[in-house]
Amino acid sequence: MTTEQTAVSLARDQYAKPLVVALASGCAVAVLLGVYARLHHPTHYALDVAGFSSPLYAKAWLTTAAAVFAVVQLVTGYRITRGAAAAWMPALHRWSGRIAILLTVPVIVHCIYALGFGTYSARVLAHSVLGCVFYGAFVAKMLSLVQRDKMPKWVLPVLGGVVFVSLIALWATSALWLFATKGVHS
Amino acid sequence: MSRRGPLITLASVAVLAVIFLWANTVAGKSAAGTSATSAGATGTAAPTQTAKAPLSALYAGRSSGNEVAVAIAINGRKAAANLTPGQGGVIQLQGSVTGDKVTLTGGNGAALSGSVSGVAMFGTVTLGGGQQGFPFSAEQTVVEAIYTGRSSGNEVALAIATEGRKAVAYVCNGQTIEAWLQGSVNGNQVTLAGKNGTSLTGSLSGLALFGTVTPAAGLNFPFSAELSPRPAGVYQARITVNGLATRIGWTVLPDGTQLGVAVAGQARHPAPPLNLGTNSFTPDGGSFKAAPVAGQDTVVSP
Repeated sequence: MTTEQTAVSLARDQYAKPLVVALASGCAVAVLLGVYARLHHPTHYALDVAGFSSPLYAKAWLTTAAAVFAVVQLVTGYRITRGAAAAWMPALHRWSGRIAILLTVPVIVHCIYALGFGTYSARVLAHSVLGCVFYGAFVAKMLSLVQRDKMPKWVLPVLGGVVFVSLIALWATSALWLFATKGVHS
Repeated sequence: MSRRGPLITLASVAVLAVIFLWANTVAGKSAAGTSATSAGATGTAAPTQTAKAPLSALYAGRSSGNEVAVAIAINGRKAAANLTPGQGGVIQLQGSVTGDKVTLTGGNGAALSGSVSGVAMFGTVTLGGGQQGFPFSAEQTVVEAIYTGRSSGNEVALAIATEGRKAVAYVCNGQTIEAWLQGSVNGNQVTLAGKNGTSLTGSLSGLALFGTVTPAAGLNFPFSAELSPRPAGVYQARITVNGLATRIGWTVLPDGTQLGVAVAGQARHPAPPLNLGTNSFTPDGGSFKAAPVAGQDTVVSP
């Protein structure tokens, strides 16, 4: 009984530190992003990505592309978690994730630098919060991956799920809204 | 499997974000730098050319051989034009603006393509029906607009009147802070300056104008303003009260709300209420007229 308890608590302690570090880092990133976005005075101006009618549409299409890669992430991530992945799937999972997150970087820089943390409507508030959650969860997941041997099995799927859901929700509250209200074009 | 992979991914995201932020900061500074320069030399410096058509403008002109008169309106990404040939009716064209290029088409193969260069547009116009194209040139015609708004903390109200590429503004809090500003509209950039380090810079975005106003040295307020219908505007009166030359300015918002300051020598008082129906006001029993100020007017003595 006693040895068993010790073993369990040892195992828990072993889990605890890397997990707490990863989650705390993710939370810190989310809070810092939100605070910076709120405090930085919006410039209403940022560099454009060439080839689009407006920065808004450039961002919408970048986010849409990221969302497509996120779906690839979901499918491959599911297979990997189930241990049913084909040999090429982990590589596809890694690279689609990298591409997806890099696609969102110009978008978030524009969001934070030019617009800031908006609260003037439910959509905008949700989008602002989700943006912080997304990057926080992403950082937590990357740090968990580094220490994955010391993590409970559920950590990666859960964090991956949060990243996926928040990205799709970000897309729905921005790109989908823009396409629905202003039309689908470049 | 590599343990560095996720860290490299994290690092590359951070590096890319820093690069974008840095590029934006540099671009923002250079934009601010140019506005500061032109603000310092308002009225004398040639406005810097931008490779973009203005947000909203009208152009009127003719083909080189006087075969056809052209009138072109652009508004954001959209453009429309009327072609009036010597004989026959008016041909209407619709099209779009991309950068400084304007492309319009109409029925029967009629088309116009041009590029904006400063206050002029040059290009080729075709009446359609297999006819040859004519080169044309058109000049930007004067467009008046009034933008009114408040600073983000409601410290001051402001009204900006533009006329063509010229702009004036009056910023005040209705008590003691007030500034007359004068400057120009260049593309979507609005840059005004006044006495004693006062200034206003903003950029037009759709029907809105966002920017920063400095109504007195050391006071910087972000503001937003909207295209506003009359009676919104800048109003001014110069009168003599008790032998003192007094200048009164009013910022009138579209709902009729007005904030004004009367300046006599060093003294500043809230302005008397302005009757927006007659543009008159009655301080201490007298009756005086105020005048709406247009973008081409001079409000800051050189």
